[in-house]
Amino acid sequence: MSDFLSAYSIQNWLESCPQGYLMATVYGHDPDEREIALICDNPVLREDAIRTTVQLVVGERCALSASSGLINAAPDEASKRFLATQTLDEARHVEIFTHRLYDLGVRKEDLESTIRHHANPNLVRFAEVLLEKVDRKDFIAGVVGQNIVLEGMAFSVFEMMYALNQQMNPKFAHTLSGTIADERRHVGFGENRIGSLIRLHPEQKPAIEKMQKDMSYYMLATFADAFKQTQAIDELERIGQEQPHAQYQGVDLGEASPQQMEAVLADTVLKEFKTRLGRIGIEYQTPAHP
Amino acid sequence: MRAVPVSGDVHDLSPEQFYEEVHSFEFWFQAVEGYLSGLTWGHRPQTADPTLPAADRERLITILCNYCVGETAALDGASGLVAIAPNRLAKVFLSTQVVDEGRHLEVFFHRLRELGVADPEAEVERRASRSLLLFRRRLLELVGSKDWEAAIFAQNVILESLEFAVFHSHAEGADPVTAEILRNVIKDERRHIGFGENELGRRLANAPHIRARLGQTKRELDHLVLDALADTARLIGLPSGEDERLSRMYLGSVERLGFVL
Repeated sequence: MSDFLSAYSIQNWLESCPQGYLMATVYGHDPDEREIALICDNPVLREDAIRTTVQLVVGERCALSASSGLINAAPDEASKRFLATQTLDEARHVEIFTHRLYDLGVRKEDLESTIRHHANPNLVRFAEVLLEKVDRKDFIAGVVGQNIVLEGMAFSVFEMMYALNQQMNPKFAHTLSGTIADERRHVGFGENRIGSLIRLHPEQKPAIEKMQKDMSYYMLATFADAFKQTQAIDELERIGQEQPHAQYQGVDLGEASPQQMEAVLADTVLKEFKTRLGRIGIEYQTPAHP
Repeated sequence: MRAVPVSGDVHDLSPEQFYEEVHSFEFWFQAVEGYLSGLTWGHRPQTADPTLPAADRERLITILCNYCVGETAALDGASGLVAIAPNRLAKVFLSTQVVDEGRHLEVFFHRLRELGVADPEAEVERRASRSLLLFRRRLLELVGSKDWEAAIFAQNVILESLEFAVFHSHAEGADPVTAEILRNVIKDERRHIGFGENELGRRLANAPHIRARLGQTKRELDHLVLDALADTARLIGLPSGEDERLSRMYLGSVERLGFVL
């Protein structure tokens, strides 16, 4: 166990993250990169970008609370130290997505009201299910919920958003690429550390499986709400702006309907859950369809 | 974009912009990049590490084990404080503190391994000072009770001042590797103390009644801190009377922060 955890040391984190892929970035992107005029100058597209970014802030605030809260519950020093790096990663994500809101024109004094206005209730409920486990200092359920379910979802969502923005909005794509690299590390820790703990505590499996089922339901409900918001696509069509033909999981996102995009995202995330949960000895539970 | 003023001095910023700047990941990264770049496990790889005499090595192991107790308390305390921090900027700053404390724990563990300790976790448990364990328990109770002012006082003023005084004294006479590790840890502690001083200073100015509660916390924790200081001074090998100087240094640090309670 200690050999595996040595790969998650703060020394490695310092070398690979702040002194690696984040070098020379400011709030996650190159100092001279800017939000594109297409979004900033169009009220409909700007509002849609704000709504999307708010969901990222909500998710990252949940991840920050969860990773910091799990430090006290961690059964060994090496896990505490890994979670310390994850805490700072999540705080950085909160910071960079909050700054994107400022870049999109949200005033600092309106930040919290903007987040309250746009936060998806299903995403808030998703976070609450996880944070209930963290509040009870339930380390195993907390790490499964945080590093496999939440991070697994974030990883796929960020990858899809990265594909959508890579050509159109290099600044936001750059911001996302750093968070994707972080999330990859977090998911790896969850899988590696928790498998051994679950073998020691098989009695916890039913509660963890129920948590995964509940969180998956609220995640699908969040996706359903998000892809029903078609104002931005309608606006792009209205102004004659062609959507980039980005590929995600073999689908051309420039051609796909919102329903097809929702389906491919949900399918990708749930398949990942099934694979990763299987590796740690947890049986994937199919959620109800919202 | 970052709100650095034309002068390049963050103190020229408006108060709101100042906090946005100095409590950010960006500011933390710029700060640590200056002194952690090129280090491995808290020191330069080329720093000489002569073999210590057996008695000195034994004493150093006990000292480092107790530093690990203090740093674990600081890590658990800071991470718990993230949840009760009153705003986003405080949460982000405390997250940088969490990773600082995690790093301190890691470099002390690594130093223990370099000194031949096969299982540092077990060794820490075996050699932990009772006073420090009690301090840790009380700190976590304050964090658990969601008493923001008392918890930040215990964590970022009392504990950080204790560590600052001890590490400073120890670094003066320590072997080259340990001294370098300690000096780099002290640089982090300065930032943490600054946050505690600033956060509590503003709160005390707006609500003077908090002072009485903090005074009670300090009185409750002082004897644990002073006991720990006396133990550490003996282990570091400070001459007779020097433990009193260390105690005065700690009390002076707290007083300089404006906490004459």
